[in-house]
Amino acid sequence: MRSESSVKSLAVPGIFADVQAFWAVVSREWVIFIRYPSWIIALFIWPVIFPMGYILTARALSGVDGSGLTTFQNTTGLNEYVGYIAVGTMIWMWQNIVLWAVGYSLRNEQLRGTLESNWLSPTWRFSYLLGSSIPQLVSMLMLMLVSGLEYAFLFRVHFSGSLWLTLLVILAAIPSVYGIGFAFASLVITLKEANAFVFLVRGIVMIFCGITYPLAILPAWMQSVAQWLPQTYIIHGVRTAALSTAGFSAIAFDLKMLVLFGIFWLAVGYFLFNMMERRARQTGAIGQY
Amino acid sequence: MQLQSLSQPNLSSHLRALYALIRKDWKQYWRYPLNAVSSIFQPLIWIAPIYFMGQAFSVNGKALGFSQYSGTTDFMSFILLGTVLESFINAVFWGMGYALKNDMDSGVMESNWLTPIPRLLILVGHSVTNLLVTAITSLGMLILGGMVFGFHASGEIWQALLPILPMMLGLYGFGFAFAAVVMLIREANTLVDVSSFLVQIFSGSNFPVNALPRFLLPVALALPLTYGLDSVRAHLIGTKTILPLPWEMFLLIVFMVVMLWIGTTAFKSLERRVRTLGTLGQH
Repeated sequence: MRSESSVKSLAVPGIFADVQAFWAVVSREWVIFIRYPSWIIALFIWPVIFPMGYILTARALSGVDGSGLTTFQNTTGLNEYVGYIAVGTMIWMWQNIVLWAVGYSLRNEQLRGTLESNWLSPTWRFSYLLGSSIPQLVSMLMLMLVSGLEYAFLFRVHFSGSLWLTLLVILAAIPSVYGIGFAFASLVITLKEANAFVFLVRGIVMIFCGITYPLAILPAWMQSVAQWLPQTYIIHGVRTAALSTAGFSAIAFDLKMLVLFGIFWLAVGYFLFNMMERRARQTGAIGQY
Repeated sequence: MQLQSLSQPNLSSHLRALYALIRKDWKQYWRYPLNAVSSIFQPLIWIAPIYFMGQAFSVNGKALGFSQYSGTTDFMSFILLGTVLESFINAVFWGMGYALKNDMDSGVMESNWLTPIPRLLILVGHSVTNLLVTAITSLGMLILGGMVFGFHASGEIWQALLPILPMMLGLYGFGFAFAAVVMLIREANTLVDVSSFLVQIFSGSNFPVNALPRFLLPVALALPLTYGLDSVRAHLIGTKTILPLPWEMFLLIVFMVVMLWIGTTAFKSLERRVRTLGTLGQH
């Protein structure tokens, strides 16, 4: 029989208890995730249907005789649009899903009425947010794998670039994407109108980061805005790494920017979380929705 | 004077229940004003990438390639109109299936179900606010979209409303069946998102359906919404139609009758199944 002193419960705060709490959040989120089997449908269908809308519109714009496509090629210097749109929309989907899943994780607890009681437990509160992002990251890596395969086999996209360089860009992008998710989740606890903020953030990415067109088409002021968004570098980096043979030197700048943005957004996410969490407790807004 | 309460169900009590449902949803919707504002901007944001992409395919703002399929070089008016109609279509999708899921999550589904109100009325009530809100936001979207992207409609607006009526009523039938499926599987997001997105693609909300690859064209032609969108566009911006307009109208009326019948039958049967399983209060 174990002695009473060896029992490590959550009531004895410490690193071990924090890790236990973190793992409990990860397990709970994973159970909730697989509880609704429709995620399997989403995993296979979204990568196909989301870019399809834009690809088919581009097909219609090309015209029956391809005259529109010739104009497109003259304007952008691109030979084909399918792979270009597929990669751009996939990155957008990633950020969008993170905003909904990670950004909503605390808000969902607020709506279910469990946030306040969880908050009273003697755990590191950031672990609720961090823990909910781990199953999400796993599901997103699965989504990217499925997307790549579907683009190659269904859309006949020719990935002539390097798999390792593509993975490197994705790895460098993770801190930025999830840092934005953390910052977003923190804002939502207090401001509550989560939908509006998801729409705003994903809308900015959609308009400014060139998911379906080269940035050169945008007016100069919009191009300036795009330079301040990490997704611009993710999209450019993944397109270059996966669709061209330009090599590491062509993505070096994107990687550098993503590392800088990653540090910035993780710091902003953590800072905002602490600030908003404190504010919500002071105003008593934790349990409200 | 005789009091007519909800415990003595009749037409008047049903109407009051409907009014209460609409008022509750209306109040809840406007309680979050930022969400309301974003619903005007959101569809415009979705079509912004198409606008910029379209510029790359156009010469002096005219999409000549696009006109070979649609009969108009003004691709943004084509898309803006499709987006507005799609918002109404989604209002029925979301308005019923998604509202039921919200009721399940907030724990009021079972208690609402115990009230002596026809269950289809609960579904209709949930969709009315959505339709009202969609009408307001669509107007805002057309004005704003017209200013940003340009919108030029030269046709007869009253004639354009004619195909909308059977199309929307038919959608109610579809919405009833869909809501019942949501009750059964207790998950709405993926179903709603995927199905509305697929319908949006195949009914030609953003492009003329004859631009679809040949093997996908039958899917578009099998959807009655395709003819609804096609008719409205032909009336308002003079695009080429897939079938002659009277034929499209006839198909929409058939769709309305068939879908209302299938929808109500499916809803009644699945709703009974959910009650038998005892899963009404679960989510």
